[in-house]
Amino acid sequence: MSPDRLSITFSALADPTRRAILARLISGEASVTELAEPFAMSLPAVSKHLKVLEHAGLITRGREAQWRPCRLEAGPLKDAADWLEHYRRFWEQSFDRLEDYLGELQGKEKKDGHDDEH
Amino acid sequence: MDTTTSIDAEERERELVITRIFDAPRHLVFQAWTEPDRAARWWGPQGFVTTYWDMDIRPGGTFRVCMRSPEGADHWKQGVYREIVEPERLVFTFAWEDGEGKPSHQTVVTVTFAEHGEKTELTLRQAVFETVEACNDHRRGWTSTLQRFAQYLASH
Repeated sequence: MSPDRLSITFSALADPTRRAILARLISGEASVTELAEPFAMSLPAVSKHLKVLEHAGLITRGREAQWRPCRLEAGPLKDAADWLEHYRRFWEQSFDRLEDYLGELQGKEKKDGHDDEH
Repeated sequence: MDTTTSIDAEERERELVITRIFDAPRHLVFQAWTEPDRAARWWGPQGFVTTYWDMDIRPGGTFRVCMRSPEGADHWKQGVYREIVEPERLVFTFAWEDGEGKPSHQTVVTVTFAEHGEKTELTLRQAVFETVEACNDHRRGWTSTLQRFAQYLASH
């Protein structure tokens, strides 16, 4: 995934209403009216959020003229989740090394009492 | 159901947070982050070697670091230090560079160091949803709402 793509995904996910819409779509396709229901929000306001999600490739809209159901698209979400997982591993492994390094430093600092500990 | 509220509450619970207790005094753990030669010793995955580091550790100072993978591939990371509160808190922006030296998606990392007897509890938070600009105003909407999506993905 290109960096731009990732930034688009994350900025689309940065809004709680949009995340709520995505969460709703996990349980299946829905119309704009259905998606608007839980929010104290006008249909145009919800449509605006849907446009952002659609632009980010996080949802697609059906072509049926009348109700154009929204559907969750897994691809960008998976890329974003993978990217995060990559960061998590990066820190976890760095911390393993930090642990070793701190042990080493203290071994040096505690030269006189090194037989107290391993 | 009030979806908005439940998502917000969930979001706070599900911040992407990594916590680790180190068997070392707080000042030493803090130094390992804020003295460049020390940071270069551990900052990176297993098997990676830091081959270049330039860290100007003061608020507004920048860093640029290169780590070399066991296969010999160079990975550059860069960012700007925002807060340095010795010995308890460190905030900086963080991005990997693309092939042309431009930063990719920027994140804000907040590291806190808490005394835990003789040990130190380190907590790292990494904000990825918000743009770096938005993080200036308020910190909210950290990562792990994605866990929910990951579960969805796993089942499809």
